[in-house]
Amino acid sequence: MKLRNTVIREQDAARIHEVLRRFLGESGTAEVLLIDRAGQLLAMDGAAQALDAVSISALAAAAFSSTAAMAQLLGEPEFSVLFHEGTKRSIHVSTVDGDTILLAIFDERTTLGMVRLFAGEASRAVGAVLGEARGRPKPAAEFAAPLSESESRPAWTPPS
Amino acid sequence: MSVINYANRVIDFKIVYYGPGMAGKTANLQYIHRCLPNANRGNMISLATGDDRTIYFDFLPVSALTVRGFQTRFQLYTVPGQVQYNATRRLVLRGADGLVFVADSQFERLRENVESLRNLEMNLREYDSTLDEIPYVLQYNKRDLPNLAPVTYLEFVLNRRATRVPSFEASALEGKGVFDTLNTVSRMALASEFGKRERRDEAS
Repeated sequence: MKLRNTVIREQDAARIHEVLRRFLGESGTAEVLLIDRAGQLLAMDGAAQALDAVSISALAAAAFSSTAAMAQLLGEPEFSVLFHEGTKRSIHVSTVDGDTILLAIFDERTTLGMVRLFAGEASRAVGAVLGEARGRPKPAAEFAAPLSESESRPAWTPPS
Repeated sequence: MSVINYANRVIDFKIVYYGPGMAGKTANLQYIHRCLPNANRGNMISLATGDDRTIYFDFLPVSALTVRGFQTRFQLYTVPGQVQYNATRRLVLRGADGLVFVADSQFERLRENVESLRNLEMNLREYDSTLDEIPYVLQYNKRDLPNLAPVTYLEFVLNRRATRVPSFEASALEGKGVFDTLNTVSRMALASEFGKRERRDEAS
């Protein structure tokens, strides 16, 4: 159950971006977020720049985790999809892999069926990219040397 | 676990504030939220009951130093301290890169502190992890109240693992010790990504 560290290289990001762009076009979804199950935002596309994507990621991961815990109480391994219907915009969350979820925000310009159909395809494609990324050793260049004294300085100064 | 993103040159960490109910975990995040300029923090989200007890978690994203070309960001979470919310506590713990155990310094809360620390260790085991593997600090909070247990006694009771961890006296409502705690745990989480662990990763 241990989560793996995720290192996303430029080429991974480009491939993920391509998959997400295709998903947006095919499904008619307005915004899409790729989120790890600890709540960290891995990638986003569409008009998502205007959203508080960091907060949505934390909340979506928590909602998905608590739904998974409920599933286990019913003897199900997981509920693989979570759907919240709003008056104007709705949210569809689905499993990518054991560490990641895909969140789509859509409106009346498409349907739940379309989002669900293409989310499965996008999840498989993006899951393959993440699987390769997580299987790779962490790049040495920037991380080989321990932190220097100046890099270890306090990040925040309390008010005096 | 941490996310290193070369595309936008960002490293994200998750820090979880753990401890018994009413120990001051939410107060830590509220003080940080109050003090940091908007440019260094996002919105604070609190999933609380009507009487302001945390029912799921509090969440506050903060940005920190740029190290070797990477902006470092820390997502701060609290867990619900009340005993009955263990299922949600365990969910919030998932993927933590650093832990702050917030203890209530009052004598009458010693038992709850010990039980909460044991509960933390038990929940970490669910993720095949232990306190020895995750950067971790202790905060002895509420030092402004009467009936305090001496710090030496709290150290004896709560900081007794083979390797003692940094500990801080605090009064989170007034802000005392809050940033010392945050600076230390974030530095420890950051340091764990560099140097020693890197060589081990490459050897495996």
